[in-house]
Amino acid sequence: MRVLAVCGMGLGSSLVLKMNIEKIMEQEGIEGSVEVKDLSSIMGEQADYIFASEEIGEKIEHPAEVISVKNMTDKKEIKEKVLAAYKKL
Amino acid sequence: MILDLLKKKNIAVNIKADDWEEVVDETGKLLLEADQIEERYIKAMKQSIIDNGPYVVIGKGIALLHARPEDGVKENCLSLITLAEPVEFGNKNNDPVKIAFAFGTVDNEKHVKTISELSVVLMEESAVDNIAEKESAEEILNYIEDILAQQ
Repeated sequence: MRVLAVCGMGLGSSLVLKMNIEKIMEQEGIEGSVEVKDLSSIMGEQADYIFASEEIGEKIEHPAEVISVKNMTDKKEIKEKVLAAYKKL
Repeated sequence: MILDLLKKKNIAVNIKADDWEEVVDETGKLLLEADQIEERYIKAMKQSIIDNGPYVVIGKGIALLHARPEDGVKENCLSLITLAEPVEFGNKNNDPVKIAFAFGTVDNEKHVKTISELSVVLMEESAVDNIAEKESAEEILNYIEDILAQQ
């Protein structure tokens, strides 16, 4: 599963999101990668899913499905969303 | 890593702030006084919130403030304030903010390690409330150290 974690600059929230998604993928034995991107550099990037905050998610135009995360430090929310995304692949 | 950057001088507890801009000022001030950023970095952190929205409130009660390396960062740095009264940032899911971190980065490799550890701390159940309740920088540092030691 190839995931992009996106925020305005690719330094803060997207990095926290990446760490937390990676942790869940590792725990669940999901193979793949999570890469951090800022909003301006996602075009042309191949991905199965894009994870971002709701505010950033609304601004994203990309062929991959955008999954918005309300609370980036909530293990439960991220786990549910990662598992649901993985099942749909 | 996080404890190499987050020193006592970078932490202030029970800070009074009336609005989100004051939260940015107070968190940024700790980095400015430590000579780790230029004053314009604080303005850039505010501008980023104005431009990108209040998604800096990354989790319940917690703001992660920053701008870009070229906005006046002198070295990798991290500060933390806890608020006397929670402050609204306009984030519908995670307001009000009880604790705020500000960081600056010029070395991405080190920065990734810092954020990685910070994520571990913040994913801990009730971490934000536990940090917000602490009465001193020492107590906060001990708490963070304990969480990281369990990893």
